[in-house]
Amino acid sequence: MSHDRYSRQQNFGPIGTAGQQELAAKHVLIVGAGALGSGNAEILARSGVGTITIIDRDYVEWSNLQRQSLFCEQDAIDQLPKAVAAANRIKQINADITVHAHVMDCTASDLTSLLDTSKVDLMLDATDNFAIRYIINDAAYQYQIPWIYGACSGSYGVVCNFIPGQSPCLHCVMERMPIGSASCDREGIIAPAVQMVVAMQSAEALKWLSGNRTQMSDRYTVFDLWSNMHQSIRMDKTGKHEACPTCGAQPSYPYLKSEAAMRTEVLCGRSSVWIRYPRQEPLDMNLAASHAMQLQAEVKSNPYLLQIQEGEYRLVIFQDGRALVHGTSDSLEAKKLYHRYLT
Amino acid sequence: MKILCFAHLSEQLGASSMELELGPISVADFMAELKNRYPALLLDHVMIAVNEQFVEQTHVIEPNDTVALLPPVSGG
Repeated sequence: MSHDRYSRQQNFGPIGTAGQQELAAKHVLIVGAGALGSGNAEILARSGVGTITIIDRDYVEWSNLQRQSLFCEQDAIDQLPKAVAAANRIKQINADITVHAHVMDCTASDLTSLLDTSKVDLMLDATDNFAIRYIINDAAYQYQIPWIYGACSGSYGVVCNFIPGQSPCLHCVMERMPIGSASCDREGIIAPAVQMVVAMQSAEALKWLSGNRTQMSDRYTVFDLWSNMHQSIRMDKTGKHEACPTCGAQPSYPYLKSEAAMRTEVLCGRSSVWIRYPRQEPLDMNLAASHAMQLQAEVKSNPYLLQIQEGEYRLVIFQDGRALVHGTSDSLEAKKLYHRYLT
Repeated sequence: MKILCFAHLSEQLGASSMELELGPISVADFMAELKNRYPALLLDHVMIAVNEQFVEQTHVIEPNDTVALLPPVSGG
């Protein structure tokens, strides 16, 4: 290792040589290797964080290259899994650190078995749906590992630290899982919005990992780069904390229960996939229908079910959260469609 | 009262911020009033911060407060 590799970072007073040694001893789990995962992984690898584990279920596509900074054209041509392509690039950037790549879905059981078998100091959220964030949130508070929420869409972005024993959790901030939240495939995304979220998440990560924990932000920070707006919101007085199923007095961690997991089943001889996703509360069919219509999908509904037609795909959704996705026999594709309309 | 509209709300409103002669008014009544005046706004699941503080539905917003409307965002 070249002696002055980290000199500029060590010259930054709050980190110093002691902070640098702390970083080298730390393990970060990055959930998602898309835009936010790419950006965070690159910064933390360059910063000398000793071990990085990165998880992703998807593969590299051309539409990723505009903002997902670890990938190149050849990765898209080869359709490499994002976790693999990301790990390849991270190793080129810093050969002194350890990188683990997992090509997987990151269900509750995937996540908890990872946390059972290795000591993780911090989880970085680089996912693209709320279903998985509620799982990360439960796992974080059960295992007492902080996680950093990050999300962006269009020119808008959000970052928030969730630190067990210190801050309210995602459940306290968003009691009900949102339906039809802003995402990149729908509303588009500009790369600077990604990089802004990445900058804030990775700065918070460096604080936590280098032993500067008192500097951690206690705000829910939002920005819109196009309309030049910024808000840093205090979360302390919402009063939901005590009864919270994740961080309250008697936590039950509802999203880690096996019956809460999303299950898929490909139907033999038909290009259809069943999705079973027990929701914490019944699905608001009217709300789901109006969001689907906003997305220009063809929507039909009756009191029992909702049908959404998008090109060759047809989703039939029941109020208890079950859905039948016609037009594909690929369960990942079916899940993507489900998340697009219902989480 | 100053209203800041983040993400798709600014497209639905046609502006990212506006001034309204309102208040004192509870958050719940404010949301109903907003929906009434601007039916195009999709306000379900939108989070409300008053003067950079998350507040409950019963919180009373004062005429000189700044209210931020924050849609949940999942992309990444």
